Amino acid sequence: MNSTTATRPNGLALFILPSALLFALFFFLPIGLMAVMSVLTGNPVVMPKVAFTTKHYVRMIGDPFYLEVIWTTIRIGLVTTLVALAIGYPLAHWMARIKSRTGHALLLIAVLAPMLTGIVVRTFAWMTLLSDKGVVNETLMSLGFISQPLKLMYTETGIVVGLVHIYVPFMVLTLTGVIGRIDERLEQAAENLGASPLRAFLEVTLPLSVPGILAGSLLVFALAISAYVTPILLGGFQIMTLPILIYQQISANFNVGFAAALGIVLLVISLLLVVAYNRALGLVSGQRELQ
Amino acid sequence: MQTTASPSLPATRQTASVRAPGPARPYGRYLYLAINIAILVFLLAPIAIVVVFALNPTPFIQFPPVGVSLRWFEKFFASRDFMHALGFSLEVAVLTTLSATALGASAALALARGNLPGARLIVATMLSPLMLPAILTGLALFQTYVLLDVGRPTWGLVAGHTLVTLPYVVRTTLAVLHNFDLRLEEAAQNLGASPVRTFFEVTLPLIKPGVLAGAIFAFIVSFDQFPVSLFLVSPGNETLPVTLFNYLKFDLDGTIGAASVVSIVLAFVVVIGLDRTVGLRSYVKL
Repeated sequence: MNSTTATRPNGLALFILPSALLFALFFFLPIGLMAVMSVLTGNPVVMPKVAFTTKHYVRMIGDPFYLEVIWTTIRIGLVTTLVALAIGYPLAHWMARIKSRTGHALLLIAVLAPMLTGIVVRTFAWMTLLSDKGVVNETLMSLGFISQPLKLMYTETGIVVGLVHIYVPFMVLTLTGVIGRIDERLEQAAENLGASPLRAFLEVTLPLSVPGILAGSLLVFALAISAYVTPILLGGFQIMTLPILIYQQISANFNVGFAAALGIVLLVISLLLVVAYNRALGLVSGQRELQ
Repeated sequence: MQTTASPSLPATRQTASVRAPGPARPYGRYLYLAINIAILVFLLAPIAIVVVFALNPTPFIQFPPVGVSLRWFEKFFASRDFMHALGFSLEVAVLTTLSATALGASAALALARGNLPGARLIVATMLSPLMLPAILTGLALFQTYVLLDVGRPTWGLVAGHTLVTLPYVVRTTLAVLHNFDLRLEEAAQNLGASPVRTFFEVTLPLIKPGVLAGAIFAFIVSFDQFPVSLFLVSPGNETLPVTLFNYLKFDLDGTIGAASVVSIVLAFVVVIGLDRTVGLRSYVKL
């Protein structure tokens, strides 16, 4: 970047102002207000007397139900991330190594197509697949593999399947960029020296792609723990995650302060993930400079 | 349009032709392909299923399908709620695209050329709505609008959408600006063009593909946006994803399938347009 060559901002720097204003008014101010609301006894506009309080946070820590909700959210996020990595990696590897341009374009379209289909639509698709009379159960029953429908929907498994489908493209696109940067001749050298393709992959490509694995996993985890539509529809209101709880506090209980406190917890987790993600991507670009 | 190719794309593809033919190991290769094809089926089958259910005439979701009819499409297009939601979604998406493109492209220009101190930090901040939960953006904006007692205006929703779509425009425009030959601008100015004329006749046409790609991303993301809308729409004035979501909570019939197909087709038309006009590969980078 040329920001290091000259130190004084020039006239073009002014073009940042409209976006800076947008972020100040519609991002930093609201998040700041949310932080303030999370430590107040009530809405300062409606109520004449509000005081500072930590009751929302105490309530969260003191009640096992809320801790359980946070843990469920993280658990679903972790499993989703691991599954997305397991199925995203092979596809990313194929995309990075495929020789034909047409093949690459087709794979890219296949990965992008789900991304460009709305979250609500894709969750609907999984409802039709996973419900008791859904495609999966009907097919398995007509083939005689099972006599009773498997309980796929309204379970954590169902939620994870839906979330993996929604977020695996992010994993694939992150990984394919990193794998594509690894010089293929390194693998060939290993194979020429007698390693099997599997061993060449495990000892050369896989270690070199670790920054991509980290970046993709953090991204998917961050997205999965903040998902709302998929957990609520595939969980059938029976499995509670942090985003569901937050919306419920607003829509049903109108407990703005507690919702704000829950939001701050989700924000802190996400910010930690953003920092880690940027570190991981820093590793990727450091690697690129080495080559 | 190939001038805008991102530097991070695998440049090693050309070197692939020097690969020495190793010993044939067909089984490993077949397994590799089989796994990948299974993954592709997992990715694409749900979308195909939606189309099947949109065309299946039975009143409930039923498998295997029994026939082909357009009744759910008729029901969708005849429904006032869905049509209102579709119109409102398009309105919000267009307004969002306009504001996100104007703000994002000028911000990218300032970041790439303005010699701003801390430009890296500003870029990271502007991209952060991509990583931070959109539901928090929705919640925080909702609380702010309540505190300021402004109600739930359309501009409030558009502001929220602009916030979550701006990163796409910033990223695609920055990608183009980083591959930009500064000597072209210098040449124009040496030949006597004013800085303003240089901007409109040299800079703008060259960054147009990146700005356009960002605009198309912004449109699609806004059209499909759910978590921010969930908090900021007012009853009776909902976007299509929110209407679909509310419908899905109680009904599971083919209308949803038809609505889904309509929005999938819309997204595909936009993407194919994107690919035709500016080339897709250059911008797909996370």
